[in-house]
Amino acid sequence: MIEFVNVSASYDGELAVLQDVNFTINDGDFVAFVGTNGAGKSTTMRLMNGLLKPTAGEVLVDGVPTTQLKTSELARKLGFLFQNPDRQICCNTVREELLFGFKAQGAVDDQAQARVDAMIERFGFNPDDEPYLLNRGTRQLLALASIIVMEPPTIILDEPTTGLDFRECEKVMGVVRDLNAHGTTVVMVCHDMEVVGDFAHRVIAMTQGRVVADGNTFDVLRNEAVLKAAHILPPQVTEVSMTLDRDFANVPTSIACANTVEHMVSAVTQVCEGGR
Amino acid sequence: MIEFDNFSFQYREGTEPVLRNISLSIPDGAFVGITGAAGSGKSTLTYAINGIIPHCYPGDFYGAVSVEGYDTVDTSLTDLSRLVGSVCQDIDSQMVSTVVEDEILYGLENFAVPREEIPARVDEALEAMGIADLRERTIDSLSGGQKQKVALASVIALHPRVLVLDEPTAELDPASSVAVFELLARYAREHGTTVIVVEQKIALLSDYADLLVIVDEGQIRFADTPDAVLAHADELLALGVNCPRSTTLMNELAKRGLYAGPTVRNVAQATHALMEVLA
Amino acid sequence: MAKFLEYVPGNSLLHQLNPSVKLVCAVLFAIACFVCSNLVFLLVMLALALTLAIGCGFGRETAGLCKAVFAFSLILAVVILLTTPYGVPLITLPWGFIGTGSLLAALTVVVRLMAAAIPLFLVFYATKMSDITNSAVKQLHVPYKYAFTFTSTVHFIPVFMNDMSAIMEAQTARGVEFDTSNFVKKIRLMVPLCVPLLVSSVRKTNSAAIAAEVRGFNLRTRESGHKDYPIGALDVAALLVCVALLVVAILVAVLA
Repeated sequence: MIEFVNVSASYDGELAVLQDVNFTINDGDFVAFVGTNGAGKSTTMRLMNGLLKPTAGEVLVDGVPTTQLKTSELARKLGFLFQNPDRQICCNTVREELLFGFKAQGAVDDQAQARVDAMIERFGFNPDDEPYLLNRGTRQLLALASIIVMEPPTIILDEPTTGLDFRECEKVMGVVRDLNAHGTTVVMVCHDMEVVGDFAHRVIAMTQGRVVADGNTFDVLRNEAVLKAAHILPPQVTEVSMTLDRDFANVPTSIACANTVEHMVSAVTQVCEGGR
Repeated sequence: MIEFDNFSFQYREGTEPVLRNISLSIPDGAFVGITGAAGSGKSTLTYAINGIIPHCYPGDFYGAVSVEGYDTVDTSLTDLSRLVGSVCQDIDSQMVSTVVEDEILYGLENFAVPREEIPARVDEALEAMGIADLRERTIDSLSGGQKQKVALASVIALHPRVLVLDEPTAELDPASSVAVFELLARYAREHGTTVIVVEQKIALLSDYADLLVIVDEGQIRFADTPDAVLAHADELLALGVNCPRSTTLMNELAKRGLYAGPTVRNVAQATHALMEVLA
Repeated sequence: MAKFLEYVPGNSLLHQLNPSVKLVCAVLFAIACFVCSNLVFLLVMLALALTLAIGCGFGRETAGLCKAVFAFSLILAVVILLTTPYGVPLITLPWGFIGTGSLLAALTVVVRLMAAAIPLFLVFYATKMSDITNSAVKQLHVPYKYAFTFTSTVHFIPVFMNDMSAIMEAQTARGVEFDTSNFVKKIRLMVPLCVPLLVSSVRKTNSAAIAAEVRGFNLRTRESGHKDYPIGALDVAALLVCVALLVVAILVAVLA
C-alpha cells in the first residue's frame, strides 16, 4: 500500500512541483497517472520510491514513511521501470542483467537462477546477447524483465510505451497486465490514452502539481471538466461516444457509454438490428 | 522532388540490407508521414534523403536517391544541407548553444546568410514556431515541446526546401505533439516546403500527412493517401502498425455490413459516420 | 541553482565583459596564483575572487565549486603534509616529520587552487557558450574547430553529470546502495556504471557531430559570427587590473 498524505515536494527547495497531494494506492490496483509534461507525474513516482523526499506531508509505503527508508531498501517492495532503459541496463549479457538485482539486493541463489531462467524463457531472450546491441523495444523489455524477475509486490512504470512500436507496446503491456492479474500492484505514468483506457483500472489526473481527479478509469476519462483541466483527450472511442451523446438527441445509452471498439460495435449492431 | 530509384542500402557493419529496392517519388510540397515497426528501416529512409547516408554512415549503396535533381551520393553533405533541413531524434545533443537566439543564429552564420538579412530571418523563424517570447531563454530551462520548436526554428531559418524529422514527438505529451504538427503543417503550407516525418503516432500522421508510407523489413509496403492506406487495416496490423481507433471502429462496422462509407481516420469523421449509420 | 558549469543569465559586471577578455583575465589571474607562493598574497587573491563571485551573484555556484575544489586540493594537501618535512617538527613520522613548514605548504596549495579556479569557472557561468567560441575565434584567432571542440566538451560536462545521476538513480531503484553513507563503497559501486555512461556519451557525441554537420559546421570561418564583441573601457580596466595583479605576484615572488 502506498499513501500520500498532504504531500508537497520541490527540487532544490525552489518552486513547489507538487502541492498538497493525497491518494492511497491499494494492493492489487492498476493505476495510471495522466496529465501534460510538467504536471508532476514523474515527481510523484520518484516520491514513491524515496528518490525524492517530500518537503511537507508524508509518503507511506506499507505504513512506513519513505523518510525512514533508503531507496535501495525500498527496491524490494517497489520495482521501478525508468522511461529510458539505457539508464538501467549496465551488464554485459542479458543473463547478467537479469541477475543484477539479486546481486545488488543480496545473494544469487538457486532460486534466483531459476527465476532468471524462467524470465529468459518467457520473453524469448538469448541469455548471451549483449544488451546494448539489442533494439530499443527489446532493451525496454529486458529492463522490465530485470525488474519483475525480483517479483516486487508493486511495479512503477514511467512511460513504459514511449519509443516502442505497436507490437512492442502490446508485448510490454501484456506482461504488465498479466502481473497485475496475479496480484502485482501496478502504477504507471502514461501519455497514450488508448493504453490507459485499455489497461488501467483507475486514473489519477494531475495538473500543475495537483491531483484534479482520482477514480475509475472511464469515470475520469469521461469527465469533461477534468479532461479540460488536465489538457488530455480521452481514448478515441470514448470521445466518439461522448460527442454523440452531447451533440445529438436520443442517442441510446449503450452507445453513449461505450468506451471500447467491441462495446461500440455491439451497441451499434444491437440498435441497428433492433430497428429493423 | 525527391526521387528514390531502386535504392538499397546495407550498413557496413550490417549483415543484410536495411532497405531493399525502394522506388518512390515525393512531389514538392508534400507532407509525408513514414511509419513502421521498430527496425523496419524507416529512419534509414530519411537518412538517405538528408545525406547522412552515405556521408556519415558508410555502407553499400545501390540505386540512386536525388533531391531536387541533386544526387545524394555525388553532392556533399554540406551542400545537401542547404536543401534539406534535418531535426534529429536526440534534441538535447543537437543543441550547440546556451540560449535560444544563438541556436537559431548558428546555421544562418555557417551558411553565410548576408548580415543584414539575419535579424529578420531569426524573427521570422521564432514567429513561425510561436516562440518569440523564448528568444532570450536558456535552452536548458525549456520543456521538451519548447525545445522541439527551437530545433525546428533553427532549421527553418535556413529556408530549406525539404524538412526531415525523426520522431519529433516521441518525448512529448499529446497536447504538445499536436501543437508541433500543427505548426509544422502550417509552415510547410505557407512556404511550399516538403516535409518528411518519421512517427509512431499513427493518429497524428493520418490527420496531417498527404502521403503515408508504411515500411516493413526494408521495403515500402504502402505509399498512398492516409485514407487509402488505412483501408488495409488488417494487413497493417500484421506489419505491426495499428490504425487509429476511429478507423478500427468503422472498419469493424463495415465488416458487419453496417457501414459502407469511406475509411475514417479521426474522431470527427467517425462521429459523423456513426450518426449516419444510426439515422 | 544552475548545473555545474552552466550559463546563468544575468547582467553583472562579469556578464558585461568581452568574452575573450574574460578568458584572458581569468588565465592571468590563475598564472598570478601559481607564480607566487606567498600565503598572504594568495589569501588576498582568494578574497578578490570570492568578492567578484559574490558581487556578481554567483554565491551559490561558487560555494558548490569551492567544495569540489577544496575536496580535490585536500588530497594534494595531505600528500604534501606527509612528504615535505620543513619547519619546526610537530609530529614525527616513520620517514620524517610533519612540521610548521609542511602545514604552510599544504595550506598554500589549498588556497592557491581555490583562488586560481574560481575566476576560470566563473567565466563559464557568466558567458554563453557560443559567445566564448565566437569571440575566441574572432579576437584570439583560435581556429574554429578547436574552439568548438573545447566549448562542446564543456557543454557536455553537465549533460554527462546529469546522465550519471540519472543512471545512479535508476540503479538505486534496483537496490544498489548508492544511498549508503559509506563513501568508499559508493565509489566502488559506481565503477560498473561507466558502461551505460559511456554508451550514452558515444551516442550523444555522435548525433551531436552529425547535427552540427548538417547545419553547415564545415563552412564556418572566422567571419561567420553574426555578433560583434567590442572591447570597451571596462574590458581595458579589467585587463589592466589582472596584469597589475600578475606584476605584483612576480614582484612578491622575486623579492621573497
